Amino acid sequence: MTTSTNIIEVKNLKKAYHDGLEATVALDGVSFNVRKGEFVAIMGPSGSGKSTLLHLLGLLDIPTSGSYHFEGTNISSFSGNELADLRNRKLGFVFQSFNLLARTSVLENVKLPLVYSGVHESKWDELATRAIESVGLINRINHDQSELSGGERQRVAIARALVTDPEVIFADEPTGNLDSKSGKKVMGIIQDLNEKQGKTVILITHETSTAEHAERIIRLIDGTIESDVKVKNRLTSEDEYVK
Amino acid sequence: MTIRHLFKTSLTGLSTNRSRSFLTILGIVIGITAIMLVVSLGAGAQNLILGEVQGLGTNTIAIIPGREPTGPTDVSALYSDSLKDKDLTALQNKANVPGLASIMPVVIGASSASYDSNVYQVSIFGATDLMASIFSLVPAEGQFFDQSDVLSFSSVVVIGADVATHLFDTQDPLNQNIKIKGRNFRVVAVLPKSGGGSLFNFDGMVIMPYSTAQTYVTGQKYFSRLITQAVNDSAVPVTADDIRLTLEESHNITDPTKDDFTVQTQQDLANRLGTITSALTWFLVAVASIALFVGGVGIMNIMLVSVTERTREIGLRKALGAKDRDILSQFLLEAVLLTVIGGVIGIFLGSSLAFIVAFALSHFLAINWTFIFPWSGAILGISVSAIIGLVFGGYPANQASKKSPIEALRYE
Repeated sequence: MTTSTNIIEVKNLKKAYHDGLEATVALDGVSFNVRKGEFVAIMGPSGSGKSTLLHLLGLLDIPTSGSYHFEGTNISSFSGNELADLRNRKLGFVFQSFNLLARTSVLENVKLPLVYSGVHESKWDELATRAIESVGLINRINHDQSELSGGERQRVAIARALVTDPEVIFADEPTGNLDSKSGKKVMGIIQDLNEKQGKTVILITHETSTAEHAERIIRLIDGTIESDVKVKNRLTSEDEYVK
Repeated sequence: MTIRHLFKTSLTGLSTNRSRSFLTILGIVIGITAIMLVVSLGAGAQNLILGEVQGLGTNTIAIIPGREPTGPTDVSALYSDSLKDKDLTALQNKANVPGLASIMPVVIGASSASYDSNVYQVSIFGATDLMASIFSLVPAEGQFFDQSDVLSFSSVVVIGADVATHLFDTQDPLNQNIKIKGRNFRVVAVLPKSGGGSLFNFDGMVIMPYSTAQTYVTGQKYFSRLITQAVNDSAVPVTADDIRLTLEESHNITDPTKDDFTVQTQQDLANRLGTITSALTWFLVAVASIALFVGGVGIMNIMLVSVTERTREIGLRKALGAKDRDILSQFLLEAVLLTVIGGVIGIFLGSSLAFIVAFALSHFLAINWTFIFPWSGAILGISVSAIIGLVFGGYPANQASKKSPIEALRYE
């Protein structure tokens, strides 16, 4: 494994929150690398620091100490606007609670990241339509997001994460608010993104069955890495479609 | 973020909460409506007053007894008997006032007039035949008295429309005699009704030669006014000065601050009335602006609520790549759009109300009132409401842009 293939390198990452006099340590010295095209699941009980880690990796928050190299660049000196730009171009987010804009159509929701990108407006519709097509919702493109089921909404969120053609997709408990059938379909789509489009995927979950879609599982406890192992009997996206 | 999309985003933000947006701008609407109404009516009033004043001819110069009091204790300012025959003679001398075209002494009084058993309280206006041309008076019937009537102290009168109806009812007043102070005066002309909106109301007046009025009605040897006309407009300032110097000499006054008369040109009067009406207008605008300020605070309040309510949306936009300035401009534009929309509605409402008032005044009260669209008020209204949006929307928008994406996403 050489450095050049690592898209993410973190060393001794720490994050502490100050609440009055007391400091809560959420992440206490975490080090690992993620290769380009890898599918990593981060697991752990609540309070283990997995959400904090995702926020740091997703450039939504800055670490208290430690280093973070994204595509070989140390991002610790980046300004808020530079981070926003990097998020827009290189990262895609899928949240547990979908976070779609209310009273807004599927198409407009998917276009949202393009609004903040340098992509020319004439290409927005085409890019968004393609992303919506890839999650199988082309027949719902002009529906208001409130008319969709939970599974469909999460697929809209995936299309939104894809529309800027990012390097890394961050999925924070993407199946947490879904029934098992919709959840499996969503996981199938995420796995396809990894296997067929070569996207790096970082998945946060507390369900082992969901984590087994990944190649590798990092377990966190009390802000430190408890284990970092390869998945032996990995689920495939085809498995899910059959079930 | 492109400007087009910024507008789209902000308009979507506003339209998702239509009724709240409407209630929010109500304060601005009321404030701008009030300002528009005040400015429009003020301009209308100014127009009316200046029109009346300028209708007397811009070459007219009035000489009024007494000077303008310099303070409440300046009682000596009120010399009401300072204009006399010798002054008239001095002013009529071409050597003294070469720019003077004509001069008309005026004697004002009040008395009761009667015909048969009808009695009516009238204003007595003693003047000369120049009266007709200065005030553009055209009798409905009969002829105005002339210079010979003035010289011969004739007992002839021109009566206003109200006097005619009250004393004569449906009878023709022409060549009838009315009684004033026990003396008979022959009616030589009747004036048409001039209406209530006019600065000078001739309807309740009895006009007669000033010589007659002095001798038989007021019993005074002095004049209430001297109304003069300069040969042309450009001669007005010099002529006014000549009049002042002539009268000072005639009254043996060496110190101009001790003048016992005031020389007033129409331009002076117009300027003074203009100043008064605009001062009044802008005072009312200042009062109406309080509504705007309250409206602005309302906008700030609602924008702060809106920012809190949409914390998740802000977090999401930031996670997807929105920069601080994108969020700032989105919320700032929402506030400015709100206030400018409010301003436009206010301008429309205010000018409509002013139009209705103008229509009512001119149609039902027969006042010669014209509707004036207050462009200055409209431009002021739009810019003030945009500034209010910027000022009162600035703080909430700044709060929104400073939210950290994770705190915003975590917010429930």
